[in-house]
Amino acid sequence: MMGEIPVFFLHGLVYAGLLFLVSSGLTLVFGMMNVLNLAHAAFYMLGAYFSFSVLSLTRNFYLSLIICPLLLFFLGAFVERFLLRRVHAYGHVQELLLTFGVAYIITESVKWIWGNYPLGVNLSGFLSESVNLFGLFYPVYRLFMFFCAVFIGLLLAVVLYKTRIGIIVRASVDDSEMVNALGVNVPLVFTGVFGFGAALSGFAGVIAGPLLTTYPGMAAEILVDAFVVIVIGGMGSLGGAIVASLMIGELQSFGALLIPKLSLALMYMLMAAVLVIRPSGLFGEEQ
Amino acid sequence: MMKGRRGVPALAWGVFILIGTVLLPLAARQYQLAILTEVIIFALFAVSYNLLLGYAGLLSFGHAMFFGTGAYTVAILLNRVPGLSFYSAVALSAMVTTVAGLIIGSLLLRHKGTPFALLTLAFNALLYAIATKWHSITGGDDGLSIFRPEIDVGFTQFSISGITAFYYITLATIGVVMLFCWYFTHTAMGQTVLLMRENEERMKFLGYNTNISRLILFVFTSFLAGLAGTFYALLFQFTSITAISIDMSTIVLLMVIIGGTGSFAGPIIGACVYIYLQDFLSDVTDRWPFIMGLIFIFMILYVPKGLSGLIDSLIERLRERWPSSGKVEVSE
Repeated sequence: MMGEIPVFFLHGLVYAGLLFLVSSGLTLVFGMMNVLNLAHAAFYMLGAYFSFSVLSLTRNFYLSLIICPLLLFFLGAFVERFLLRRVHAYGHVQELLLTFGVAYIITESVKWIWGNYPLGVNLSGFLSESVNLFGLFYPVYRLFMFFCAVFIGLLLAVVLYKTRIGIIVRASVDDSEMVNALGVNVPLVFTGVFGFGAALSGFAGVIAGPLLTTYPGMAAEILVDAFVVIVIGGMGSLGGAIVASLMIGELQSFGALLIPKLSLALMYMLMAAVLVIRPSGLFGEEQ
Repeated sequence: MMKGRRGVPALAWGVFILIGTVLLPLAARQYQLAILTEVIIFALFAVSYNLLLGYAGLLSFGHAMFFGTGAYTVAILLNRVPGLSFYSAVALSAMVTTVAGLIIGSLLLRHKGTPFALLTLAFNALLYAIATKWHSITGGDDGLSIFRPEIDVGFTQFSISGITAFYYITLATIGVVMLFCWYFTHTAMGQTVLLMRENEERMKFLGYNTNISRLILFVFTSFLAGLAGTFYALLFQFTSITAISIDMSTIVLLMVIIGGTGSFAGPIIGACVYIYLQDFLSDVTDRWPFIMGLIFIFMILYVPKGLSGLIDSLIERLRERWPSSGKVEVSE
């Protein structure tokens, strides 16, 4: 039991990385547009399915790591520009309902195109091996996933805090009307951020594919986890998403090791506790 | 919202529907009767959902947690408590859901808007997980089979194992509850909820405790959803995890959006259209959920008031064309 702790710790980190990739886009879009994108996890699922198709055509994993997020960027931008923007005037409920409808249609399309059964993705080469990590054999692929998440996290931080685009995005999160008045094309920024969020989610889907099975229920599965992450971390807070992803990742991993029967409930218990003590989340602004 | 000036036609429609539904079993076949029973059950579920969404402006993605709780409670009760009478089982099941609504509601209603919507989804997922994992009680993926108990009316007993008898029982019970819902929307309490959606600040200022009103409404809707779930389990004589899944929450959302959130009758129309459309489409193609999704997006984009809003504006247009005659509604 004691010997398994490092392994489960690493498993937790890997899942945390995946959760961060999904929830960061979700929380960024929410912070900016005040829209909770319920189709976000469906984009994640599409990433995994696109990757399956790209892999069966080209057998090149790195290629699908680039193509699939790009495709999802355009899909996300399309959804924002041509669907979401149309219902913006009707208020939040309609916006939520629309993204819900998009998620529903994506799920049904996936069942239609790829079938309602799990698909396996097999990797070959270096990624499918294991490495000796201080006397512990650990799959290279899981480490690769974690480093991908760290890399994207750093990239996100650099773009947000060191570039002009980042300044505009952060300013729009605070006060989009003012940014608009200052001459920035805020609707275009919205489209871009929405697409970027979809691309991040799709990226997560691509790297999740070989580890977790690709099946039509995978969206709903991660959606709830990502929701819990942004509720705990505080809606709209990127730092909160990092901390909460780590918490949920480790909690799920060690929950499965220590108290397997209750592991599912643990996450909700943590969420309930946060809600009672700090309803706006750990890093969220007071409402 | 109900408009006072259409009170008489509404009553006429009510009487017409009542007579129609009572006489229908004489003409309909067994299968059609089962579908109609399903429509009545889902109409109650949809009405309860619309009390949240349309009246209080609370968007929930997890209303099936109460529907499912009702379905599971009645199944567990009938399986575990021998000799339990029909109405005790139904009443106990509705009570359990009410308590569940009180507990979950007092936790969730600390939030409004998007966080509320998100939390309802998370809680639905939690209850779904419990129903799947707690195999010894819920039967897990296998579900629970039940038999409809006989009804004891004091001097005699009669069986509701046949669909015709069960149809009447469902119609009577849910009909009465539905009338009460309609009455509820006209009480001071129901109006408070409506006004709260429009301007909560002002209601608070006028001295209303809006949090309590919202909780009462939430508990009431969970009771209604639980009752619908109970009858759903009794109709199919089976409870499975479908009843408590997010898919079920999706279905009620689709019904209400198709029917329209703006009136009391909207969700009833929506439930009717959804069930018959599903029945029709599932014969034609396996891809019927996809078509439902397209209809949903279309309604959101182009018909935000739903079918009932469409009917209302149609009647309004006809009124303008023949302003004096009252019989236009009948002739069309």
